Amino acid sequence: MTPHDDSPLARIQRWMQAVITHPGGVAEGAASDDARCHLADSPSGIEQVISRSQRLTSEERLAIYSHAYFARLLECLRAVFPYVAKTIGEEAFDDLALGYLERYPSRSYTLDRLGAEFPRYLEETRPDRDAEGRPTETWPDFLIELAKLEWVIGEVFDGPGVEGQPVLSADDLTAIPAERWPQARLKFVPCWRLLAFRFPLNDFYTALRNEEPPEIPEPAETFLALTRRDYIVRRHRLDRTQFELLSALAAGRPIGAAIEQAAKVAGPDLEGFVANLQSSFRDWTAAGFFQATDL
Amino acid sequence: MIAPRLGHANLGLGVGLRTAHFAHVLEHFPAVDWFEIISENFIDSQGRPRYVLDQIAERYPVVMHGVSLSIGSTDPLDFDYLARLKRLADAIEPRWISDHLCWTGVLGLNAHDLLPLPLNEETLAHVVARVRTVQDFLERPLMLENPSSYVTFAASTISEWEFLRRMADEADCGLLLDVNNVYVSSVNHDFDPVEYIERLPHERIVQCHLAGHANCETHLIDTHDNHVIDPVWRLYRKAHALTGGVSTLLEWDARIPEFPVVHAEVLKARQYMTPDGDEPLPADRPAAGLFAGASPGGPSATMGATPHPLHFIGREVQ
Repeated sequence: MTPHDDSPLARIQRWMQAVITHPGGVAEGAASDDARCHLADSPSGIEQVISRSQRLTSEERLAIYSHAYFARLLECLRAVFPYVAKTIGEEAFDDLALGYLERYPSRSYTLDRLGAEFPRYLEETRPDRDAEGRPTETWPDFLIELAKLEWVIGEVFDGPGVEGQPVLSADDLTAIPAERWPQARLKFVPCWRLLAFRFPLNDFYTALRNEEPPEIPEPAETFLALTRRDYIVRRHRLDRTQFELLSALAAGRPIGAAIEQAAKVAGPDLEGFVANLQSSFRDWTAAGFFQATDL
Repeated sequence: MIAPRLGHANLGLGVGLRTAHFAHVLEHFPAVDWFEIISENFIDSQGRPRYVLDQIAERYPVVMHGVSLSIGSTDPLDFDYLARLKRLADAIEPRWISDHLCWTGVLGLNAHDLLPLPLNEETLAHVVARVRTVQDFLERPLMLENPSSYVTFAASTISEWEFLRRMADEADCGLLLDVNNVYVSSVNHDFDPVEYIERLPHERIVQCHLAGHANCETHLIDTHDNHVIDPVWRLYRKAHALTGGVSTLLEWDARIPEFPVVHAEVLKARQYMTPDGDEPLPADRPAAGLFAGASPGGPSATMGATPHPLHFIGREVQ
């Protein structure tokens, strides 16, 4: 059968899906065009499709599935974005999530992908746009960035990793002959991610992990690397020049060129940047950022 | 002549593997006969869930139990999903693969629920054809489970047990008999659960499920969040006698207690592997009788209860 099949079974399934996923409940769902178009011969809907039991009406029985649909998927979204939910409160989060499910219902066999478009949905529906469509507040930006961070953490947690495989050690790096350093390239592990934020997301995340109250911080540019070791996602705070350096390296630039690129944004911190280069690379190899070198 | 359990082994008393127990299982490798996994939790995993599964599959018999096959949907079969399922099966070599007699969505959507089907000749032909296709693709027999359900359809013309019997015969597949689901649906749809179990093709039952449910007074919901109640145990005794004993597994998916509590719950099944004696089966239940076997804590949920399944693995972050 195909999705365009007009068999009685296909029509019942499309009708039932339209009814139980309707945000207004099953009565509104059954009255909606989305549902009625599938059962043209039964305009009044529910009683003609669903039998009643000794204790429940057809509508009450169908409402169990409607309740379950939203409860299950909201619970999943709360689990994927726990700190967004904690920051705005469960009620506000559920309102957002309901709107999200309506616009981006699941199309995957796995719940792991349910939240994939949630940061985009927050961007699309931010409530602070002026007449020209420009944002007027900063707090929606914070929530969008927090949602992105929580989503990327999930990707790193269950995506490809290097557990059980060798990664580049500090000794491997120091073994590179000095004259070949500038032209060497570094290959990052597949679970490594580089993130830039307009808010101090890492500190906020740590505060919520420590069960401190969620207070949206003032904007401040921050940088973060994520990776995974021993199947646990690890966060690594970076400064601006470290971010530039790692960005360049991740883009495939040789180490020498990447350092030059980062030095341009170091400004008055150039001396400190250069002095700390060795310790930065030592920390990053200890954290397992790199898988190999390309000499 | 069909061999009992379609020739599959009786694996004994197993437990559904859940994230909450990963650490305990890896630390203690408890003396459980076998584990059942939720396939969707692992088919794409390249992180800790898959690592844990590999450790377990090396040491225990494992069965793959899915929730997204959507065998009754009128959407086309998802061969990308099936390919992933097969790849995982090739890697961990489960004793068998199961899913549910249900549909999960149409028009490309997934409600992530085990939605019931109108049970009639049209649906039977549709499901049988798809089971055959899936078995050919997976190169393994498929076991299908009777779901808990909360509605019945005016278009239904066949009882669920008859549907399962004919489906299993015509598609040559196995059955996963969820005893708790029979009980839940029997209350919700006013049928006799004993007759249901008596009429199934017992030689095609490869596995049993047990679980707790929530009593909402006007109906039951399959929440998997509590102990198995006495009427369900008594149905299990009946099923055990009729099948001659099959692999039995406890599912506990919400308000999950410590692993030893879950394991102890399935081990209670040993008490029900003896003949009935004079104990009455819950065939004719007065309304109050529905609650007679509730666990010591009483009914576990209200109208807000969420039916199984919710299967999502939380992240571990430092």
